[in-house]
Amino acid sequence: MSGDETSHARDASPAISDADEDARNLLRVRDLSTRFFTEEGQVNAVESVDFDVRDGEVFGIVGESGSGKSVTALSIGDLVESPGRVTSGEVWYRNADLAEEIDDPEAVDGDFVDVRQVPENVRRSLRGPSFSMIFQDPMSSLNPSLTVGEQIAEAVEVQRRARANPRSTRSRTQGYGLADMLASTVLPSRSYVSEESRERAIELLEQVGIPDPADRADEYPHQFSGGMLQRAMIAQALAGEPDLLIADEPTTALDVTIQAQILDLLRDLQDETGMSIVMITHNLGVIARMCDRVGVMYAGEIVERGQLADVFDDPVHPYTQGLLGSIPDLDEPASRLQPIEGNVPDLYDHEMGDRCYFADRCPYAMEECLSHPPEFDTETGKPVDPKTDPGEHGARCVLANHEFRPEDALPEEYFAVESEDSSGSDREAAETEEVNTDD
Amino acid sequence: MSMGRFLLRRLLQGVFVIWGVVTVVFLLRFVTPGDPITFIAPLDAPPEVRQNIARELGLNKPLYVQYGEYLFNLVQGDMGYSYINSTPARQRIFNRLPATLELAVAASIVAVVISIPLGVISATRRHEPADYAATTFSLVGISTPNFWLGIMLVLVLAVGLGLFPTSRRAIGFLPAIEMLLTDLDPGGLVTWLWHITLPAITLGTYFTALITRLTRSGMLDELGKTYVRASRAKGLPETLVRYKHVLRNTLIPVITVLGLQLGTLIGGAVITEAVFNWPGLGTLVINAINDRDWVLIQGSLVVIGAGFVIVNIAVDAMYAYINPQVRSE
Amino acid sequence: MISELLSKLFGGVWETVRGGVSPRTARNLRKEFRNSLLAKLGVVLVVAAILVAAFAPVLAPHDPTTQNLDGSSLPPLGFSKETTQTSSEMVNGSIEVVNETVYVEADPNHPLGTDSLGRDMLSRAIYGARTSLMVGFLGTAIAALVGVTVGLAAGYYGGRVDDALMRSADVMLAFPSLVLAVALVGLFGKVSIPVPDPLVALGVESGMPDSFVLPGTVILVVGLVNWVWFARVARGEALSIQSEEYVKAARSVGASDGFIIRKHVLPNSVTPILVLATIQIAAIILLESSLSFLGFSGTTLSWGFDIAQGRDYLATSWWISTIPGIAIVLTVIGINLVGDWLRDALDPGIEGEGGGP
Repeated sequence: MSGDETSHARDASPAISDADEDARNLLRVRDLSTRFFTEEGQVNAVESVDFDVRDGEVFGIVGESGSGKSVTALSIGDLVESPGRVTSGEVWYRNADLAEEIDDPEAVDGDFVDVRQVPENVRRSLRGPSFSMIFQDPMSSLNPSLTVGEQIAEAVEVQRRARANPRSTRSRTQGYGLADMLASTVLPSRSYVSEESRERAIELLEQVGIPDPADRADEYPHQFSGGMLQRAMIAQALAGEPDLLIADEPTTALDVTIQAQILDLLRDLQDETGMSIVMITHNLGVIARMCDRVGVMYAGEIVERGQLADVFDDPVHPYTQGLLGSIPDLDEPASRLQPIEGNVPDLYDHEMGDRCYFADRCPYAMEECLSHPPEFDTETGKPVDPKTDPGEHGARCVLANHEFRPEDALPEEYFAVESEDSSGSDREAAETEEVNTDD
Repeated sequence: MSMGRFLLRRLLQGVFVIWGVVTVVFLLRFVTPGDPITFIAPLDAPPEVRQNIARELGLNKPLYVQYGEYLFNLVQGDMGYSYINSTPARQRIFNRLPATLELAVAASIVAVVISIPLGVISATRRHEPADYAATTFSLVGISTPNFWLGIMLVLVLAVGLGLFPTSRRAIGFLPAIEMLLTDLDPGGLVTWLWHITLPAITLGTYFTALITRLTRSGMLDELGKTYVRASRAKGLPETLVRYKHVLRNTLIPVITVLGLQLGTLIGGAVITEAVFNWPGLGTLVINAINDRDWVLIQGSLVVIGAGFVIVNIAVDAMYAYINPQVRSE
Repeated sequence: MISELLSKLFGGVWETVRGGVSPRTARNLRKEFRNSLLAKLGVVLVVAAILVAAFAPVLAPHDPTTQNLDGSSLPPLGFSKETTQTSSEMVNGSIEVVNETVYVEADPNHPLGTDSLGRDMLSRAIYGARTSLMVGFLGTAIAALVGVTVGLAAGYYGGRVDDALMRSADVMLAFPSLVLAVALVGLFGKVSIPVPDPLVALGVESGMPDSFVLPGTVILVVGLVNWVWFARVARGEALSIQSEEYVKAARSVGASDGFIIRKHVLPNSVTPILVLATIQIAAIILLESSLSFLGFSGTTLSWGFDIAQGRDYLATSWWISTIPGIAIVLTVIGINLVGDWLRDALDPGIEGEGGGP
């Protein structure tokens, strides 16, 4: 199935006013940048990313590994760890109650709150009831030495305890000190988790389609299969009843048949709860199956974005074209897969500069691609103000403004040098193939 | 596998290892140069006297008979009679055992109480002054010979500042407790503490340093795992992430290494006893070796080996309790 | 013929080590070294210790064994010592005992002072490095040789062989290495092997001891009590490599066990064994010093021995015990830092450290 079958958040016509647009947006991400400060230098993992997530939609972020899509996900959830840091940008989240509470006028815009500007304890309080996340490898995403039920119940319990005073970090451990934590390893009666939460955890396991949930709750992660674990992870992510679920490559580590089940489950759960999903994947099949709108990431930037149909049927950016070109066409099984030549750049700050990062691999690269960074333009050639509406189909490429001019094309030598440079590293060669198309 | 069956299997393995220890200890006497009688009989003893001694000790019997008798007696708790010391070996060994146990337990408590919080602080405040202090301490700690550390502590704290006694155990822990309970006099316990402080620090420093290192690196490993990120994403407060999830998993490899390092603790006790003239098993072994008092050598080696095995089973039980994967394998 | 055999043997070892250190490993080592101040410090300390040990006769200002009772217990430079000198003299027909406090000043000829027999502390500390490093390296070599052989055999053949070897390793582990070492040295006796000092024999330096005493029993014993750690690591590696497809493939085309072990199992075990060996050198140096301290050694030129000597003079001459201890700590810190560097760069996945002091 494609995104067209979902009724909500569909007909984004340019005629809708800003206010209407905002009312349907859950999240407005603006100019978000995340850097990693490593010993080898600064890595610009995410570079000025803008996108919106509407109510009840699935927004897809697709790209090769190393394109910054996972870091984007972590940046929204405020889960970037040292040596990484979100260095700039705004993450506007619509929550009227929260907007009421926040005193800082800078951080509030109508019902929206910029979660990057609120105090840390408030930001943390959003984990669970506002944003939740599932990860690529379910086996390592659960603690191997606690039962699955216990871990899901914890996620329930933390929201239960937080209810009294949601914005205080302390309320989540009120009356439960270090001594209790240590004692609970020996004495089950000192456990953090209440009986009520345990029951809710079993309900959640049932909801995500785990048979015999009461028995399975007492098992450890290594007793679960990969697909069952991913279901348990989803149950855990649902425990806080989030407005937004960020799914980072949720099916990559799973068998093909299980992948489809998990995607169906996510769809069903979304219909039940009305939450929004940000789906991060390198798998175009997943995007085609799940998403309403999509952003294509390359070298830390979103290079093209828009309605799924617009982007897939009429890609503007040569990178998107390349990605889609590498989808095997079932009607013409004889045609070979066409991978994009070259590698994702390393994203070291000192190597980036003011240019289109795809130019090295782009078949339509022109002189102007090296001199100034392309604006995020629409097909119409008019620059789009990301503040008002990034909902239209747009691409960060000069080709959005004008046709390819062969007379301006970069000389052959430019590519020759580049490819020789990168041929030294054996590692990246394998990663080029990462964008795959299996479903 | 259930916990009970796991422990039963370990127990059987332990019995096997103790049997191996006993056998090695028994054979040791026959592969080392020198006639044990030389060390018992007077230098000018005539051959008949020597033969008498040999007969009395059963040394003239075939090896397998001697081995059989040795095992038989040992199972009944008889470790033989030390002619050199004119006491039954068992009595001498068990008289000395409490001093060594007190030392080892005190050192272990010091080590665990200091090292785990230190390792946690070090890992959670990475690249901060506290971390640098803790890593420096642990590097120096694992690189310092404990006997030298003991001497330096005596030099500064006992000889220099006079805060602690230079040596000797003045009172046992049990008598001190008894004194406290019957006479309500805490003086014995204070004396005990006062005397055991320097030896316990001496013996415990290496382990404190080692566990700090292991805890730090283990915790850093764990903190980098996805389940930590997932726990934070589901809204768990940091204290719960650290102390309910991460610390527990950190302790799993720490416990494994501790089990392996138990021998080092006992070896360390031997030398610490030598530094502080501590009347424990270690000084007993060294004296017995110097005197070639075979009955005592064998007896104490068997006790040390058996102690190692028993504590290791306890460590394994702890390991199995904390790590569900072991139990269900 | 013998030389051919030797070159074959050592050539094989070298090939193995080189085979185990791939270009990527070398790159990791360089990268980690560049980024780590501690790794640099470790290498500096270890190289310094090796140079001091190698050129001891050149570096030492005095013969470390020459006694001089007139200049005994001299303090190190920058310190002075207060002692009570008792003298008696005849005053008016009766003997009068005079107690007089004198200050013993440091002698620039003995920058680190002298011990209770007037031997130069600096020279003894320099010569002590030889004992420590020789025992450390040779003992580790023996432990590695025995342990790797046993471990590979156990891991490679599995089944009964594995059971037998590993259960005996368990029994081994039940004896604390220090206790076992004390027992073995004490019971088998101390064997001292005098080795002619090449620097003195060649006439580069005179007035120094013309031979260097290797504590033979100690080297053998510290090697034999520590082989278990190597056996465990080698066994683990052999077990994991066994199940690799390429080993199965080699076996299916009829490669001999010896060939597979040499060509596949050993090279893959090099990294973890190298890291373990580094840690073991440190552990064995500490063990040697403990043995010397307890008097179970074949040489009197040892840091541990000097620490024991100084114990009786703690109240008056603190430096006799302190200086050799500092030498041990610096050497062992250096080796441990190198071990950390190797482990961080190579990530061999072995648990913790081998036996300690």
